[in-house]
Amino acid sequence: MIFSSARRYYLLLLILGLGWPQAGWAQPGPRFTISGTVRGGHGETLPGASVAVPALGTGTAADSLGHYSLSLPAGRHQLVIAFIGYQQIVREVNLNKNQRLSLNLEESGNELGEVIVEGSVTLEQKLKTTQMGVEHLSIKEAKLLPALFGEVDILKTLQLKPGVQSGGEGTSGLFVRGGSADQNLVLLDNTVVYNPNHLFGLFSVFNSDAVQSVDLYKSGFPAQFGGRLSSVVDVKLREGNRQHYVATGGVGLISSRLTYEGPINKGKGSFIVSGRRTYFDIFTRALNRANEGKEDYSPIPDYYFYDFNAKANYTLGEKDQVFLTGYLGRDIFGFSSPNGFNFSFQWGNTIGSLRWNHTFSPKLFVNTTVSVSDYKYTLTNQLANVFSFNLGSQITDYTGRTDFEYTPNDRHQIKVGAMLTQHRFGVGRLSASTGDGRLDIGSDVHYYGLDGAVYASDNYKATDKLQLEGGLRLTGFRSGTDQYGGLEPRAAARYALNDKTSFKLNYAMMYQYVHLVTNSGASLPTDIWYPSRLSVKPQQSQQVSGGASFLLGGGKYLLTNELYYKWGRNQVDFRDGAQLFVNPDLDQEFIFGKSWAYGNELYLEKKTGKTTGWIGYTLAWSWRNFQPQNGTNGVNGGRDFHPNYDRRHNLTVVVLHQLNKRINLTASFIYTSGNLTTLPLGRFGVQDIPGSSVGIDPRPVPVYPDRNSYRLIPYHRLDLGVVYKIGARRDQDLTLSIYNAYNRRNAYFVFFDTVRDKASGRTVGFQAKQVSLFPVIPSLTYNFRF
Amino acid sequence: MSILLNRSTFGALAIVGLALAGCGKLQNDINVPLPAFSSDLVVECYLRPGQVPELAVTTSVPYISSVLPQVPTDVTVTLTMPNGTLVPLAFSPNYRALIDTTTGVKFHSHIGRDPLVARAGDVFKLDVVDTKGRHATATTTMLAPIPIDSVSYQFNDKTGSERKAIFLTSFRDPPALDDCYRLQLHKGSPARGALLKNPEQDMSIEDRLLNGQEFVLGTSYRFYPGDTVTATLYHTERAMFRFRQSVRDARQANGNPFAQPSAIYGNVQGGIGIFGVLSGTTAQKILAK
Repeated sequence: MIFSSARRYYLLLLILGLGWPQAGWAQPGPRFTISGTVRGGHGETLPGASVAVPALGTGTAADSLGHYSLSLPAGRHQLVIAFIGYQQIVREVNLNKNQRLSLNLEESGNELGEVIVEGSVTLEQKLKTTQMGVEHLSIKEAKLLPALFGEVDILKTLQLKPGVQSGGEGTSGLFVRGGSADQNLVLLDNTVVYNPNHLFGLFSVFNSDAVQSVDLYKSGFPAQFGGRLSSVVDVKLREGNRQHYVATGGVGLISSRLTYEGPINKGKGSFIVSGRRTYFDIFTRALNRANEGKEDYSPIPDYYFYDFNAKANYTLGEKDQVFLTGYLGRDIFGFSSPNGFNFSFQWGNTIGSLRWNHTFSPKLFVNTTVSVSDYKYTLTNQLANVFSFNLGSQITDYTGRTDFEYTPNDRHQIKVGAMLTQHRFGVGRLSASTGDGRLDIGSDVHYYGLDGAVYASDNYKATDKLQLEGGLRLTGFRSGTDQYGGLEPRAAARYALNDKTSFKLNYAMMYQYVHLVTNSGASLPTDIWYPSRLSVKPQQSQQVSGGASFLLGGGKYLLTNELYYKWGRNQVDFRDGAQLFVNPDLDQEFIFGKSWAYGNELYLEKKTGKTTGWIGYTLAWSWRNFQPQNGTNGVNGGRDFHPNYDRRHNLTVVVLHQLNKRINLTASFIYTSGNLTTLPLGRFGVQDIPGSSVGIDPRPVPVYPDRNSYRLIPYHRLDLGVVYKIGARRDQDLTLSIYNAYNRRNAYFVFFDTVRDKASGRTVGFQAKQVSLFPVIPSLTYNFRF
Repeated sequence: MSILLNRSTFGALAIVGLALAGCGKLQNDINVPLPAFSSDLVVECYLRPGQVPELAVTTSVPYISSVLPQVPTDVTVTLTMPNGTLVPLAFSPNYRALIDTTTGVKFHSHIGRDPLVARAGDVFKLDVVDTKGRHATATTTMLAPIPIDSVSYQFNDKTGSERKAIFLTSFRDPPALDDCYRLQLHKGSPARGALLKNPEQDMSIEDRLLNGQEFVLGTSYRFYPGDTVTATLYHTERAMFRFRQSVRDARQANGNPFAQPSAIYGNVQGGIGIFGVLSGTTAQKILAK
């Protein structure tokens, strides 16, 4: 059914530029291509760096891998290569053939490069690109901002951007333009990360020392991305220093980090390894030892997480380079009770990828990647040698993909590619046994899925004022005998009214073939990924957005306003009381509905000068509708409702100020409408069967009205930070973060508590209570570099 | 499983909380303006073979309101027997049970006259109506009792007050799918009313993963030498299993930010509640001294 519209989409693609005739734009005289890679002083690639020829009024930006390609008339040209935070360089070239030119920019700050605080993409580049709804975040920017417990977290920094909501206080989940957290495609060096969170979402899995940059796409998704409805979070790891061996690290309130990087074979390649571990468990074990033997002693469970990143690259020849990426992260939680009961809970991602970059010519190169991504959790309960119960779930992907980029001239940039992923969904694995052998059972519910896609896109510069981008992605998914497929058209247009004003419009359709099974208001490690099969059809969304950008103040400020409307079908939820663990008929627990969201995002940013930052304001609505089905009343009896992360207003203000060469001051302020929640309106009593629930006043049973019908108080918070460089070379720093500086009691959740008489213990009333999670939290982190 | 998860979730948050100790009060009383609430009849009736039928009819109330259950006085209750006979249950509330909840005697608002005769496969119907036009009905079928194959215990290797035993109960699930059970373990002498007290263990299980196989249900080390342990195994309809599950889910969601609020799923049409026949078997063991 989806394929029936193929002809229509093909026509749309033609109209939008793919296959657009080129004769009308032929330039007189021969033209040649200059291409290469833009790197920083330590050899790291610089995605987004601009390569411009001012005399011709043309230029390009390095892609996500740092590659650039520019078609120019034969002759002498002056290239200006710039990247914020790095010293601009000018190169003379004499083009009489296609030519490769790789460029190295020196950082303009000190060794740590953190005095210059701006993001990497210039405001002028943002004005000119057809891409809208994208946020580029450099790790330098994120490292300067104050952070909870001093733990720099790129996902939480993205929450400060317009159109992005957090799931709750302190959590790193992203809810983009009305989409849920599982509708984000999170990529680490082009490999899917299934659970990007540590500690139930309080921290992301990305170690800031190992990350180079993050791109967040909220709309206008490039055709090479697919598989999720709502956003793409494209995280790139650093490649390591190509000149020197360097150790960096940090000692913080809850964790420490250590990174080591350096050249391989005299600069032919480089490597970086980086590790991080928390030390909650060291404190809690000490507390347990101190309290052991006391009356009412109850040991505090052990918890810690660690993650380990590694990346290496090697230049095989003039035209070939290989990149190897690895990630291993685990959260480990456990306790032992005096009754002989042992509980262990572990979860985490394991990721590996190998990318081969081959340059056919200055106009054509290809990246071919094979990768594996694995996420699993394991719960183990053991009662001495008498009884054991284990539960687990796992998803494993094996992916191969190839991506070609072809720049035939300065008007077209064509990308084509294909990918194939084999999924193994271990939906539920259970084993239980008794020590005497009377019970020994096992269950392993799993499915396989094959996920494929081919895509093509063309970024076409029709005139100096008009730029068009058209793309088409053909996707298919198979699980058992169930097959699905769809065409996903992508289109974008930019019209530059003048040097300082541009208007943009885009459209994207997305399919999502894998679904997160969660019956909780938050992302939990026990959430299960489930394929499209049987009654569970692929989710689909479409989005149109339009906006205008204005360069103000002589190019110092960029004001952008974007409007969007997004609608989706086959959105998934679960019936009340759904059995989500080890259920071979899990598809029976799903219910399906539609979603729609719309809003306006206003964004003012400043990226240069001693004071930088941004102000973002979003006015937004998100809706869901689940009609009665599958023996249920749907959700709210089929009436429209808001998801809990629907927030009408969202204001963020971020300021970074370089006081002098040693001191940076930062502040971020956020004000949003409160989360929606479901509070009980009424209650009743249940006595239960004879011989049960005996005691003083059994707990009342709440009666809940429509889902998400109560909005918590508005959320606001001010965070402050100071980065103080120390040492003769200013290569160490002390970073002070004050989270929630004015100690606002934001609502984490509200509940009705039972008020009891102290003497008799009897219930005398009920009281609504609001629980807050984080008061003011100062933290100090020491960062070093050797 | 979910209990364990919630425990671990809160455990993790407790660890974070440790870091925040001394930073001030994080829980505050607030006023929540709640919209008007429309109350329903709440019916709870567990028929027991050989016992006089009784049931409790109350109403749901706004959350912030009087603590004691509201017992409507204008409700007429009729029990339809398997042979079609209509048995009226008279309004005769034992209010004391609402006030003294520690004795184990359950509150009833209506009660019959004669002990119930029930066999496996018998179908009973309940009709509850008040003068305000609220009308609740329910139907239940008595399931065949499932015999307990064995009960056993196993001591740890400690001595003195540390010497404790686990208790194992085994039974075999019938071949047909969709059986649900409730197992209670009471400690103490039944002659002294131990079976009316809170159980040491009270679990609801279904045969989704072990259909037609032997069930062995164990406890932690919690029983002492000389303890009398009585295992009661009820073979319940799925409606009773789901009612208990939804009550648990609804309670957990009040105060747990990770839980999804649940509606209450019973088998009472036109109201809230559950109507069932307790089809049980028991086995007893006295732990060696």
